[in-house]
Amino acid sequence: MLGLRIFTYLIVALMLLPVLVTFPVALSAVPRISFPPVGFSSRWFLAILSDQVLLGTIARSLWLGLGAALIGVLVALPCAFVVERGRFRGRDLLETGITSPRMMPQIVLALALLVFFEAIGLAESFVGLVISHLVITIPFAFRTLLVSVATLDRRLEWSSDVLGASPTQTFLRVMAPQLKTGLIAALIFTFILSFNNVTLALFLSGFGERTLPVEMFQRMNVGGMTPVIPAISFVLALIGVVLFVFLDRTIGVYRFLAGRD
Amino acid sequence: MSSPRGALRSAEDFARGRPMLVSLLLLAPVLLLLLLFFFAPLAELANLSTFAQQPTRQVPRPPHSLVNYVKILSDPFYLQVAATSVLVGGCTTIATLAIAYPIAFYVTRIAGWERTLISVACLLPIFVNVIVGILGWYILLLPYGLVQQVLSALGLVEGSLQLLRSFPALVVVLTYEHMPFAVLILVSSLQAVPIDKINAARLLGASTARIVANIIMPLTMPGLVASAILVFSLSASSYLTPILIGGQRIRVLPLMIFSYGTELLNWPLAAALAIVLLVIVVAITYLFAAAMNRLSKRGQWEMV
Repeated sequence: MLGLRIFTYLIVALMLLPVLVTFPVALSAVPRISFPPVGFSSRWFLAILSDQVLLGTIARSLWLGLGAALIGVLVALPCAFVVERGRFRGRDLLETGITSPRMMPQIVLALALLVFFEAIGLAESFVGLVISHLVITIPFAFRTLLVSVATLDRRLEWSSDVLGASPTQTFLRVMAPQLKTGLIAALIFTFILSFNNVTLALFLSGFGERTLPVEMFQRMNVGGMTPVIPAISFVLALIGVVLFVFLDRTIGVYRFLAGRD
Repeated sequence: MSSPRGALRSAEDFARGRPMLVSLLLLAPVLLLLLLFFFAPLAELANLSTFAQQPTRQVPRPPHSLVNYVKILSDPFYLQVAATSVLVGGCTTIATLAIAYPIAFYVTRIAGWERTLISVACLLPIFVNVIVGILGWYILLLPYGLVQQVLSALGLVEGSLQLLRSFPALVVVLTYEHMPFAVLILVSSLQAVPIDKINAARLLGASTARIVANIIMPLTMPGLVASAILVFSLSASSYLTPILIGGQRIRVLPLMIFSYGTELLNWPLAAALAIVLLVIVVAITYLFAAAMNRLSKRGQWEMV
């Protein structure tokens, strides 16, 4: 058990190292990436706030994430009910169909949507980007919500029904409170999924319409990247860790991320 | 039974006695979206891959032929690229599972803040943008970067070292990236192993090694297979890490798909390469799952 413990902490260190290393690099005083950093300054963190291009991409990514999460969860919830409670032929097929985008390599999906959007005039549009993100967030929201719907206490609904409540009342006052945690989890996880997506946005976002990860990718790939990218990376990592710890201590990350498998 | 809970009163009356219709209405947005923007584009992609040339304004529908597939399957260059993709996916899968399994086991034995700490570290790549992780590794692997400094200090290497753009570096970063998926599946799989069985075995005098080999491994086989399939299909089709860490040195199919799809604008060839990638991933994961099934039927992985 001691050997296992040492191994685990070694891997923990290796998993945290790449994220932590962005911090000292971002504190560099010179406009190039070097480790150990040269000099010491906080100018690159401040530079995020004065970089109009970067700020624009952050806003776009936030709207995109919000849209994909809200719409995705809204349309996935009824599907979760039908699949979980329905007793009809083809139910498994339906479940497989709704979750199948998860198994599709994103580069294949991205190319297919690029070609398709080009044909129907949605290429390089924000609407197209939201739609592409819905394709990947819906399966995820659906699976998370299936867990919630399956754990609903049916007896409470029957009692509510017997006591004369309408289906609407039963939904809002008996089921919605039970579904709250699952809905919040689904919203947060689909937002993260959309906010962090690079491959789809790389193919589908227009030249002046980049999302934050695509902008970071382009600056890294083209070269001449300044420490403003490590700075924003560290900020993103910090937000990610805080979000994670919050979710794990309130909802339990394993339960909702792993789905029903 | 599925009633339109949350719908308006009139909808409730309308819905009474029509469960099938209501189900369809509830499913409609998702089904339409997936049909229009998932299944249709993929069908169109398959169609496009059989075009003899890039569609133009003058010739929007060029004649069908298998010329792109012939080109890919008869050119040693593309076959090499495909083989590299499979190799990258395979190595990443083995490395990821070998690391994730013991960690997942450890996670199921602990609780509280220690569990949160280990979970944060191992699941971080899901919560933090993949570009952040790649950038971190890029900084670590730079010539005279931290990794090289450590290796030199340990006396393992001398002089300059080309870590970036190397195959091992690519596999390391892909393993980092896909660790969360394996850990997630394996934790829930290991958690489902009934503690009674382990206790019974221990009572009967089985060693820890024997318990792992004869009870825990067979019971978590479905989880292992599922995570292997997921990690393989994700890493073999990954684009970002190969381009940013491997550069153009290690050519994999996604790099070709991207450059033909967006830079060289040869969509039919890009489409054919995408279909080839899809078929390779599906075929390998299917054969792997079938082989593991067979093994379990033969009794080697028999459920205890």
